[in-house]
Amino acid sequence: MKKTIISAIAAIAFSSAALADYPTKDIQGIIQWGAGGSTDTVMRAITPHVEKELGKSIILSNRTGGVGVIATRFVESRRADGYTLLLGAENPQMYKVLGLADIDYNDMIPVNIIARGTPIFVAHNDAPFNTMTEFVEYAKANPGKVRTGSTGAGGLTSIVLAMLDSQVKVDLTTIPYDGDGPALTALQGGTIDIMPAVLGAAIEHIRAGRLKAIGLVDVEANDLLPGVAPIVDEIPGFSSYLPWGPFFGVFVKNGTPDSVVETLTNAYSKGAEHPDFVDLINGRGFTMMNISGDEARQFLDSYRSVSSWLVHDAGFSKNSPEEFGIPRPNN
Amino acid sequence: MFEALQYFSISWVSPELMFLTALGTFLGIYVGAIPGLSVTMAVSILISFTFSWDVNSALCLMVGVYMGGVYGGSRTAILLNIPGAPSAIATALDGYPLAQQGKAGEAIGLSTVMSVIGGFVGIIVLAVAAPHVSDFALTFQPRDYLLLGLLGILLVGSLSGGNMAKGLFAGAFGILIGTVGLDPLTAEERFTYGVVELWSGINPIAVMIGLFGITEALSQLHHMDKVAVKQRIDRLIPKWGDVKKYLPLSLRSSAIGVGVGSLPGVGGDIAALMAYDQAKRSTKNPEVEFGKGAKEGLVAPESANNAAVGGAYIPMLTLGIPGDAVTAVFIGALFIHGLNPGPMLMIERPEMFWFTVGNLTLANIFVLIFGLTGIRLFSKIVECPKGILIPVIFLLSIVGAYSINNSIADVWWMLGFGMLGYFFKMYGVPVGPIILGVILSRLIDDNWRRAIMSERGDLSNFFINMISSPLSATLLLAIILILLSQTPIWKKVFKPKNT
Repeated sequence: MKKTIISAIAAIAFSSAALADYPTKDIQGIIQWGAGGSTDTVMRAITPHVEKELGKSIILSNRTGGVGVIATRFVESRRADGYTLLLGAENPQMYKVLGLADIDYNDMIPVNIIARGTPIFVAHNDAPFNTMTEFVEYAKANPGKVRTGSTGAGGLTSIVLAMLDSQVKVDLTTIPYDGDGPALTALQGGTIDIMPAVLGAAIEHIRAGRLKAIGLVDVEANDLLPGVAPIVDEIPGFSSYLPWGPFFGVFVKNGTPDSVVETLTNAYSKGAEHPDFVDLINGRGFTMMNISGDEARQFLDSYRSVSSWLVHDAGFSKNSPEEFGIPRPNN
Repeated sequence: MFEALQYFSISWVSPELMFLTALGTFLGIYVGAIPGLSVTMAVSILISFTFSWDVNSALCLMVGVYMGGVYGGSRTAILLNIPGAPSAIATALDGYPLAQQGKAGEAIGLSTVMSVIGGFVGIIVLAVAAPHVSDFALTFQPRDYLLLGLLGILLVGSLSGGNMAKGLFAGAFGILIGTVGLDPLTAEERFTYGVVELWSGINPIAVMIGLFGITEALSQLHHMDKVAVKQRIDRLIPKWGDVKKYLPLSLRSSAIGVGVGSLPGVGGDIAALMAYDQAKRSTKNPEVEFGKGAKEGLVAPESANNAAVGGAYIPMLTLGIPGDAVTAVFIGALFIHGLNPGPMLMIERPEMFWFTVGNLTLANIFVLIFGLTGIRLFSKIVECPKGILIPVIFLLSIVGAYSINNSIADVWWMLGFGMLGYFFKMYGVPVGPIILGVILSRLIDDNWRRAIMSERGDLSNFFINMISSPLSATLLLAIILILLSQTPIWKKVFKPKNT
């Protein structure tokens, strides 16, 4: 009896696969960032669950460099048949205003926006401030003395600092790093004093008491950071940008057939629901999104408009968002 | 203490875990030996492959691949002059000449034993002093990394083969190659001429395979008529006397390996090169000149790069900060298996620490076993007629370059640098400093700018801080002493009396 059920399910599975005719071969998954980073970890964790749904392997490879431009361009250069997936982070949404590329996620089809991160301000343990208010006061009293890390123009740190800059004027010394990993290491070593980082990257160091969280860049408190007030309590002006945060998503080239996108969307949304994966996302301090279609497009639009205008107003954009028809966020 | 021992032996008492460690080490040696197939890549692939396994089994396989892979890089370096990975570059400098003299078997045997000694030193430091070493590693400021890079650049002197001007030219050329691509600090394009494919720079491994493998194959074409040297295969396992003789050097090199390996962002490649430099400076009367088959030149880098494995684990297990690219992937693997690598791991899951230490020890023993078997067969490779060997080197180089990123562009770079290296060699420009420049370029460039930015461009503050920080002052002093020791006045004053 058991056998017949299994074979029946298998038959149904096979016939539906034959109908959709996708996937008939292995799929290439191009990871935008290096092995061992957040994007890499999230993508490698979800892939086995998605493979189970698709019935084919997804061959992962890291194509790093140029803040993700290399991977994005590579996927764009492939055929729109759903056999090459872009597994990326938020960076492409800034390519146009930063003049890095003429494509972004709005020119692609979102298969799934898997999860989003919450930015926080973390500081070196010996830094003479414990809250955002104290930090701003100290930085104002000691211009240029407070050193902060940056992960490059358009990265999370630069955008959160631009948010801060739009509210209060403080003079910080900025030292660039290759990513939040090396920057957080420098923060522990005292090379820098404070920096905005994604909660997931800093949480273990905070739990161990090696770094202190002084501000939560969100509208509400977070269970992982008891006692840290949301930034809108201290600097209310932030509310016009929030909630905002980096994200991880899966994308295919424009022109990919609808049925293929549907198969992929279903597989990814089921894969993202797997309890092991949900645990990983929650444990690392990310917020599960698992959205696709119009909902995903709306999210991408909103991210792009908030970030592009922030960067433009802060004066480090190469092109005006207007050139690309990116509307100002409505406060 | 008893608990620690119990965790330590998890992989020793389970036949399954032991087998997986052995399998991993065996695979690692061959992955490491094939240029272009990196340990980082192999471990990333294993994450997906071992996804549904128990975490201990998955880690056993991956730790084995790591330990075996770092050792394996020396194989092709010695036999074919193609380092399997950047950490085996220094090994090729004296290992390959040894093989050309018919001592391939002896070289492999010696490199195996020294790798294992280095591996053990790394593991012991990890087990005994991990929290202290990682706290110390964190105190390295950008200016200290800059000084470390400058210390590395002094190696140009060791690699120039007598002609300093040509060596300096080659080193500067390497640094230039290393700057191609998007500036990592500002994302501005440098030497890209608007070509997007150049944004991520020229892959150092492609440059390395070209400069070593292809250059050597092309220059071998001049000697097609020469019959390959008969390999001596009577002395494969190094004599106890030899091991004892090289032990102090091996321990010193291992110390460099652990130290450099434990620094986040600096790995076994720089450690091995620095150890080679140290060996050349401290060996007063080598039996054979360095670069012509000195055994000291083999002992130092091989001890250092395997010691760097233990070193790289130090910040990873104590703080969740990767010591190199491979341990970064390990952190990802632990996350995927539901653990939270970070400073709390040692407290919440102490068994993971001791399990890893035990597992590394086991893998290191397997390196010794697998490393010393099959040497006879391998040393025969060098006896192959050139008509077969040279095409094989070409093929291996092409496959290796392609497999770095599955990109045909890397193959063209590799071939281009191979040709360039050939002409450089013909005109007496050493190729070693080029690859040194490529490797150190980022370290020096990034950290010089970070250091000066953190002083807001104030040079006087930069120098004051350099002298007032004990760590920076020590590094600076080391550089000055090494430079001074090259000058004629110094040599006259401190001339050893007994020679």
